Formats: sequence, C-alpha cells, structure tokens
Amino acid sequence: MSPALRKIVLPVGTFLSFLLGWQLLSEALDVPVYLLPSPLDIYEGGGKLGPAILSNTLETLKTILLGFVCACAVGIPLGVVVSVNRTISEMIYPLIVFLNAIPIIAIAPILVVIFGTDMTTRLIIVTLTCFFPIMVNTAAGMMDTPKEMLDLARVAGASRMGEILSVRLPSAIPFIFSGLRIGVTVAVVGAVVAEFVNANKGLGFLVTSSTAQFAIPTATACVVILAVISVVLYEAVNWAHRAFFGWSIKTKAGE
Amino acid sequence: MIHATPARAAHSEAEMPSGEPRREPIIELAHAGVIFATSKGDPLVAVEDMSLTIYREEIVSLVGPSGCGKSTVLRMLAGLQQPTSGDIWIGGGKTRRGFSEVAIVFQRPTLLPWLSVMDNVLYPVKVLQRPTKAHRSRAMELLELVGLQDMAERMPHELSGGMQQRASIARSLILDPKILLMDEPFGALDALTREDLQLDLLDIHAETRKTILLVTHSINEAVLLSDRVAVMSARPGRMQDLVEIDVPKPRGAESAARPDFLALSQRIRDDIFGPRTGRKGRRA
Repeated sequence: MSPALRKIVLPVGTFLSFLLGWQLLSEALDVPVYLLPSPLDIYEGGGKLGPAILSNTLETLKTILLGFVCACAVGIPLGVVVSVNRTISEMIYPLIVFLNAIPIIAIAPILVVIFGTDMTTRLIIVTLTCFFPIMVNTAAGMMDTPKEMLDLARVAGASRMGEILSVRLPSAIPFIFSGLRIGVTVAVVGAVVAEFVNANKGLGFLVTSSTAQFAIPTATACVVILAVISVVLYEAVNWAHRAFFGWSIKTKAGE
Repeated sequence: MIHATPARAAHSEAEMPSGEPRREPIIELAHAGVIFATSKGDPLVAVEDMSLTIYREEIVSLVGPSGCGKSTVLRMLAGLQQPTSGDIWIGGGKTRRGFSEVAIVFQRPTLLPWLSVMDNVLYPVKVLQRPTKAHRSRAMELLELVGLQDMAERMPHELSGGMQQRASIARSLILDPKILLMDEPFGALDALTREDLQLDLLDIHAETRKTILLVTHSINEAVLLSDRVAVMSARPGRMQDLVEIDVPKPRGAESAARPDFLALSQRIRDDIFGPRTGRKGRRA
C-alpha cells in the first residue's frame, strides 16, 4: 500500500469498524434510543429535519466564519502591537488575559441582554472565544524573528515600521497559522455557545430545541455535523497555509 | 561616537607604506572600545582600545580566538553596536543610508525565506524605495557575477548553502556600497564550497574594488584573501598584531603552498597561540 493510501485507508477503516461495532452493540444490548442512539438512529434523526438541516448548517457556518474573521482582525493586530511596544504590552496584556479568563458560557447570556438577540452578539461571543490563541501566537512569532534578519533590516536602513512589515510579520507566518488552526476550531465552540443562548436557527439552536423535545438522534446528528465543520475548517486553514505560504512549511526542517 | 570627518586621517596617511599610490582611508577606528553590562553586574569588556585604519579598495581580515570581539568590531562599523569609548569614522559619504554605504554579509545567508532569490537581492532597495528597472537589471548582473543567473525566480530553500551565501553576497552589492563587512561569511559552508567561494570573492573584489573587512576564524582564509590581517587577542579584545600580506596577486589555491604564505600564516598562528615548539609530544 502506498504511503498516501495508507494515510486514508487506515483511519477510515478504524472509523468504520467503530461505527459498525457501535451499531451492533446497541442492537444486541437493545439500548433505548433516548439514552444512546445508534449510528443509524442518528442518520435517520438528521434526515427527519429535511432541507432545514442545510439552512441551519449554513447559518452556523456564517456565524463561525464571520466571527473567525473578526477574531483575526482583532487578534493579529493586537499580537503585533504587544510584541513591538513594551509599554503598550505592559498596559494591555493583563487586561487581555483577564478577558480571556472569563468563562464564555457564563458571560454569553449577559452579552445577549446588553447587545440584543441579533448577529452582532453572536459575533462578539465567537470573537471573544477565539481571538486569544491568534493574538498570542502572532506575538510569539513576531518575537521569534531570527536576530540576523533584524540586523539585516537595520543595516539596510529599515524604519521601525519597515522592519515590522518586511521582516517580523512575514517571519511570524508559521506561528500565526498555528494560532489560526487553534482559533478556527475554538470558533466552532463559540458559535454553538452563541446559538445556545441567542438564536432561533443554527445547529446550536437545533441541539437545544431537539434535546428539549427528547429528539436525541436529531440533536446528535447536529453535533456530528458540527464536528465535521470543525475538521473541515481546520483542514481549510492548513490548505491556505500550504497554498499561499508554502515557503514557511518547506523551510521548517523535517516537514 | 561616529564622526563625520576623519579625526586622524592626516596621521594615518603618514603611516601608510610607501610605494602604494592613492591610499585613502575609508574606515578609522581610534581607541574604540565596547563594554557590555551583564546581568551579573561585572561589565564585560568586549573590545578595548582598538585602533585601525582601513584604506579604500583594500581587504582587511580580523582574526583571533573566539570571544576576542572581532564580530563586535564589525557590528560597530555596521551601526549595530555603539562604541562605549573612542571614535569610529567611516568615510565616503555624508549620510549613512543602508546598503549604499555599508553592506553586510552574515555567517548564515539570512535570505528572507518568503522572497525569491531576485527579491532577496532587491531587499536593500525595497527598504528605501520601490525598485526600478535599473535595479532589476543590476540585480540580474550581480546574480550572474555570483553564478546564480538561472536561480533568480527560485525560493531560497531550493538553493544549497553555498548558493544561498552567493545570493547574500549579490544582495550586499546591490546598492554599490563603499564598504563590505563580512562576518565569517564562509564559516558555515563545507570545505570545498568554502574554497570555491573564497576564490570567487577575490574575483568579485578584482571586479568591484570594494573595501572589504572580513572577520574569520581561518588563518589560511585571512592570508589568502587579505591585503592586511589584524590579529586580535581575547578578553579583553584588542589589537595584537597587524600583518601586511605581500603574497603576490592574483592569488589562487596554489598561493597557499608558497613559502611567504606559510611564513605569514605561521606568524599569525604564533600571534594567537604563542610559539608551540616546546610542547610535549608534538613536533615543531
């Protein structure tokens, strides 16, 4: 088997065996569907939603992606600023750590009261959930710039801004993408929390409403879709990294 | 302090050996010293009372044991380190604007991995202005000079270590600097590539007539490439000897077998280590 094929066949085989085992066990032990639905129950539960499943998935996807973009727009510049200016870093870093320490599930209902029940609130929740890893990784990457590159920029006569744009920021790219990979999966969690507290559509909303009606297979189907979204987005960030910043992967030894 | 005028130029002129026409000083270190504050409290004297005049178009090497401050001297001239005592004067221009005045080649090629070889060569231009067509054709000429004309659009990671260092030499020449500072430029290369690049540097010097200050660990390299070799002693780093290299030019790999080459190498070796003939178990 070729290495490329192995990478697909082995995990898929494991996954299918797991599903099969689960299906057989729940039939053999006759587990009630409201306790633990079997894979087939979950499939049927998802099917019951019909076309609604697509519109709700798109709605959640929209929240995740817009929130993720907001988090990048906040996190990357903040990471740059705290890494290049010591005073600003000392001023705002503790506040940012505090902001990140707030349990998002606890503050989400409060945010709904303050900002209302529309998309804005959901975006704030998603941004709050996932900007931190993006910011911290950006800052770490900026500080990790090889000293000789900084010397080169200085001898070449680069201004402070020129140094940041021409050397520090590009050399932070691998770190920034580590932050984005973490951030995008956390954004999915943020979007679900946002929909728990404030939505009448979306997969998070379907999970709560189906559970309230004891439609456990339907709720579980939504959870499965969320997991798939998370994996797809993670891979999408990986793809963007390879496609647009291939140099930052190839120059790392051993990759 | 970096002076705009040569404080001791007249004096240096008097020092110059006779018989050489138009030796015009371009770098002057006058009792320059660097003391670093350390976290333990004892200040570290990296360079002490360093005086050296370098003339236009000459190649001068700084050799000495590790920690003798030779890189610190280079960093002072590059503007990366201020002298804490004494003076530095760099001639040739009123303003110091990037690589058009003083260019630097590091031990590692330090190419920016997100730029193509061409864009790396143009980097010193881009820092100051938008590169023009003239800059691009100049970059191409330099890539030809270092034998990389077919690699212009490659990315740095596609090049071998030797090729990367060639590209970084091309980059150092893009703005036609008056002074080229090289900090162990061949130190990270394998022995064969190193020999190849040493001879290339002699060719480049013959063509461009740059003033070159080279820091090196290799006595052989210093004697092969230099007009003069400044030997430094360690802790505190200071000038120990200044050796005129009168091995005839053009030099090549075969120069290293000449008796005068060997005698000069031995003199520098003795400067650094002291005579070793009396050591047990070793032949002289």
